[in-house]
Amino acid sequence: MFGFRRTIQTKGPDRFAVNLGEEERSVLRAVCEDVVAALDDDANPLLRRVFPVGHASDPEIEAQYRALVHSDLLRTRREILTRVGETAFDTELDRVTLDRWMIGINTVRLVLGTRLDVIENHMPEIDHDDPDLPAWALYEFLGWLLEIVIQALSDSAPTAGR
Amino acid sequence: MKRPSTRASSTAPVEIDEPDIGQESETEKPWVVLVWNDPINLMSYVTFVLQKLFGYSLEKAQAMMLDVHEKGRAVVSSGSKEKAELDVFRLHEHGLWATMQQD
Repeated sequence: MFGFRRTIQTKGPDRFAVNLGEEERSVLRAVCEDVVAALDDDANPLLRRVFPVGHASDPEIEAQYRALVHSDLLRTRREILTRVGETAFDTELDRVTLDRWMIGINTVRLVLGTRLDVIENHMPEIDHDDPDLPAWALYEFLGWLLEIVIQALSDSAPTAGR
Repeated sequence: MKRPSTRASSTAPVEIDEPDIGQESETEKPWVVLVWNDPINLMSYVTFVLQKLFGYSLEKAQAMMLDVHEKGRAVVSSGSKEKAELDVFRLHEHGLWATMQQD
């Protein structure tokens, strides 16, 4: 039988079944671990989209904002990515954890997209021998997974319809 | 200032106030929070985060997202300096490129 299983299936308001293959789960865990490691050097230019500027027009206020929130942002980011890595092989997630997946996957895409110098909303033409082809494939995979996570969260959102 | 919460996990709307542009007193001009276009963040992601953080309807969040996408930026909330700072922080927690400025 060709049973069609949704990749993320809503089982209840706080229960989501995750139907991903072992390979996909391994990839998800690995990229989360990579970005957690990258966070150790928060001057890394690949992180510029993860820690954006809040006060573009005023360097002094920006410095104050950064001093106040940067360590919080860094810690939250690390916690979220660690949590996604830990739960990458879970077959069922609650809403809070799926929300973490959403933020975590988006964070990885921000870093990977910065590395790939993404400037368009659509994927460019890539030669089959381009050394960045695997990275683009990963970027696309994460985009697909993120769409599915957002869909599952939206369809069952407590705020839906307001 | 009030220390912003560091929890990014809440899926319930933290607040449901509509932005009250123009309701501040003359003496203290309101601050506005802008979200800027970025080719990496998915349109569905921007929409969902605006709904999640501000309790906006799908229609309202989508309209803001399209403004970001087409015009390069959109005002997503406004209010006191403290409120704007917290909103910028929460948007940054979600990886959106947000800034604040006095209107």
